[in-house]
Amino acid sequence: MSALMPAISKTGNILKSFMNLRASLQVARVRPFTSSIKENSSRYDDLKKESDPDMPLEDIKNPFEKEKIKCILCEHNIRVDYKNVRLLSQFVSRYTGRIYGRHITRLCKAQQERVEKEIWKAQQAGLMGGYTRDLAYANDPQLFNPDQPIRPHRF
Amino acid sequence: MITYEMPLLLRLMTRPELVSTLKRTAGIIFDQGGIIRRLDSLGTKDLPYRISSHGAVHRRASQFIIEFVVPPSSIKILKDEFERDIDVVRSRIYKVEELTPVECTLHEEILPPAYRKDVQEMVELAKKKFKPKFKNNTGLSYYPFQK
Ligand SMILES: [Zn+2]
Repeated sequence: MSALMPAISKTGNILKSFMNLRASLQVARVRPFTSSIKENSSRYDDLKKESDPDMPLEDIKNPFEKEKIKCILCEHNIRVDYKNVRLLSQFVSRYTGRIYGRHITRLCKAQQERVEKEIWKAQQAGLMGGYTRDLAYANDPQLFNPDQPIRPHRF
Repeated sequence: MITYEMPLLLRLMTRPELVSTLKRTAGIIFDQGGIIRRLDSLGTKDLPYRISSHGAVHRRASQFIIEFVVPPSSIKILKDEFERDIDVVRSRIYKVEELTPVECTLHEEILPPAYRKDVQEMVELAKKKFKPKFKNNTGLSYYPFQK
């Protein structure tokens, strides 16, 4: 295309500038794999060498795939235990002692179930209160904001 | 044999009394053919709620955690023994669970409802329950007669 360019005079230049503008506005439509170049650049180079650079690449991973989000316990690989009352207290309201739901804690199903189970064990063993939160743990940093649930409250 | 863990709350006692109570507790486990793996003291603390046991109300207690191995058949006997012990405010026996790595499924759970697997299953189930409606076969989009 670059070889043809000098031959086309004014209209060609306008067309070229228009194309450039469009490319800058809509990167995704022009080259869908631009964001993946950084990730596996060597593979991209290999493909580029062996095939025609103007042809679309085949057999390429979805470059727009989002990174998988992990919950706070899975991310740091924390195992909740009924003896660790301080950690369990953070999943409980400091006003009523109620366990916060999954829409507030943002835990995965398995971890939330585990937290609830361990809280119940600690309460039964007399290590943790059911309607209260230990005053020593009352001002612990918040892991999540109860006022901003991902789904609205029932109450 | 299975490893168990017992959070044990003992009433406020003098030191020698506490020692003798712990020895008695350990003796009960040994009598059942058990082994004590670990004995931790969490100190004497205020209880999160008041507990009444054996005719007295307790607001403070000495907390211990005993990890032991006994045959499962003797758990019932142990529970009964500790329940009748007047120095014990509260005791529970929990199984020590093995570490099982959990694959986080949060990224699936925060998808919009239409993309969630459990919601899709629910929709399928609702479709199954759908009962066929009577068809008039009049070729009209409305009911031609007076209702
Ligand atoms: Zn998780």
